[in-house]
Amino acid sequence: MSMQHDAIRRGSKAALAYALALLATAFFAFPIFWMFTSSLKGDEIITAYPPVWIFAPSLQNYVKLVEDLGIMTMFINSSIIVGLSTCLAMISGTLAAYALARFDIKNKQMIAFEVLSIRMLPPIVSVVPMFILARWLGVFDTYWLLIAAYALAGLPFVVWVMRVFIQDIPQSIEEAALIDGCSRVEAFWRVTLPLLMPGLAATMVIVFMFAWNEFLLASMLTSKAAKTLPVIAANTLNAKSIAWGMASAAGVVMSLPVVVLVLLMQRYLVRGLTLGAVKG
Amino acid sequence: MGIQIKDVRKRFGALTVVNGVSVDIAEGEFFVLLGESGCGKTTTLRMVAGLELPTSGSIHINGKDVTYAEPRHRDIAMAFQDYGLYPNMTVYENIAFPLKIRKVSKADQRRKVEETAGKLGIFNYLGRKPFQLSGGQRQRVSLARALVRNPKVFLMDEPLSNLDAKLRAVMRTEIKKLVSELGITTIYVTHDQIEAMSMADRIAVMRHGDMVQVGSPLEIYDRPLTHFVADFMGSPPMNLFPASMTTAGRPTGEVREFVDAIPDHERDLISSRLDASGQFTLGIRPEHLKLVQLGSPGSARAVVDFVEPLGQTTNVYLTAGEKRLIAVTDRCVSHVGDVVGVYAPPEFLRVVAN
Ligand SMILES: Nc1ncnc2c1ncn2[C@@H]1O[C@H](COP(=O)(O)OP(=O)(O)OP(=O)(O)O)[C@@H](O)[C@H]1O
Ligand SMILES: [Mg+2]
Repeated sequence: MSMQHDAIRRGSKAALAYALALLATAFFAFPIFWMFTSSLKGDEIITAYPPVWIFAPSLQNYVKLVEDLGIMTMFINSSIIVGLSTCLAMISGTLAAYALARFDIKNKQMIAFEVLSIRMLPPIVSVVPMFILARWLGVFDTYWLLIAAYALAGLPFVVWVMRVFIQDIPQSIEEAALIDGCSRVEAFWRVTLPLLMPGLAATMVIVFMFAWNEFLLASMLTSKAAKTLPVIAANTLNAKSIAWGMASAAGVVMSLPVVVLVLLMQRYLVRGLTLGAVKG
Repeated sequence: MGIQIKDVRKRFGALTVVNGVSVDIAEGEFFVLLGESGCGKTTTLRMVAGLELPTSGSIHINGKDVTYAEPRHRDIAMAFQDYGLYPNMTVYENIAFPLKIRKVSKADQRRKVEETAGKLGIFNYLGRKPFQLSGGQRQRVSLARALVRNPKVFLMDEPLSNLDAKLRAVMRTEIKKLVSELGITTIYVTHDQIEAMSMADRIAVMRHGDMVQVGSPLEIYDRPLTHFVADFMGSPPMNLFPASMTTAGRPTGEVREFVDAIPDHERDLISSRLDASGQFTLGIRPEHLKLVQLGSPGSARAVVDFVEPLGQTTNVYLTAGEKRLIAVTDRCVSHVGDVVGVYAPPEFLRVVAN
């Protein structure tokens, strides 16, 4: 009897938990839902109050984005710039973190701190010097400038976070690999790297998102050729009017790659939560 | 052949961790490095493995100078204290890893892994991940991974310290049997003197980065060179008495009767074991002390402080003059407060350096 009772109590507890989880999800998902539906509405109904829930979806906002603002070019720009800078920051940052975590380097703490100090400068302070430097070097409004800027901005984060992830992997595992016949590089590649995947995935998503959404540097250091998505998304709002439909559509276009990336990385992100169970 | 370590030193900054260690380990020998925590055992082993480079000195393995060679070029295997298993691989993949790196064919890999796993009794766990194993099973996996490629040299750093006492005793004999069957030259690091005594062909006792004494287990137990070794080996430890010899041939010490009983051949050793101020130590193992009638010839007067019956033997704690002693006797009838004689048979008295 009482066992049945317990089972019912457990069941209702679980139901409550599910209800709460649903509520929280709805709270966070609603703006996204709103953005998505708005992007499919025509100008007449987009600001209607009370909101129109049932309407014939149209892609006119997306068409306008492509035809009037040329968003395809910006999308390609953003993808190349952010993709390359993220890769660059991840590769060099992880290698630097490995050296800081594993090797006996003089003044290790100093070096790590110096790397972090890049991040301490508010970007607004560095934007004018960067502008002048870029002009002088002839890289203004090119991919290279933003790639370098974003890679550098992401680097300290990668170094500091990956250093902790690497330190968390017992050194004896790598040493075992060295003894088992690996060179340093092989040991890193075959043994350390697979264990680092969750950390790499999480770090990469964050670095990618930062660069993908970055506006200040992008708006100041590009004029036409290397313009990125956040800049164009901002162009939908001007002094006279706000093109709500286009703004929403731009928002959807900008979110898509992030969503795809997170879905791709999900396998590792979830595993990151359980990896701790291996130790001890 | 075997391993030759010549005058190897290791400094970390200003700290000298290994201070000129030299030893010649024969092929197939089971050599144990024994010492307290922090004395440099692990560092010495890691230099042999190539995980650490010596500040000076040289290391030869099987006739080849490997002082600065990478670990993979030394043909060694190693078992780590925390096992060092690859957490993302299954037991099978863990054991096969060294073979895979050496590009052994898949079929040979399978055969060797299964054979080694069978020998170590982990055949049924080959499909599991390390975190699904108990400590003892993990230890076996790490041994299997080390042994699977028939190494010439096997290095072990306190491989049993994470196991419970019973399992430790089982694994002790298993390891020893396995290694001697395969005839692998082994260096085994431990701080447990019982492990050292029971497994070693030869023991090196280390202290503060020095090898204080190298010898067979019984040699070290019976004839310790220094106070430290005498105190470190054996439980309960050797009874040690401060003694001195300021005039040649006339040693004096705390328990008069014992000093007088030092036999001639030990007496001859005194001058070589004296320290700068003319001090040495006289020692006798607890199991050699005899409790006799008070006043028997050659015995000292002592009071029984405490009696610890252990079943097979009994530990009797005594005070002779100012000096506290332990005697291990058969089941005995002493009681706390008894006044007895303690007799030290001359053939068991040892002269030991401070
Ligand atoms: N990388 C290092 N840098 C500085 N000091 C070190 C380093 N590795 C070891 N030491 C020091 O060297 C000394 C000897 O260390 P080692 O690990 O060889 O001791 P051990 O005999 O193995 O001790 P235990 O039984 O506790 O394992 C210790 O005092 C330790 O602090
Ligand atoms: Mg150690």
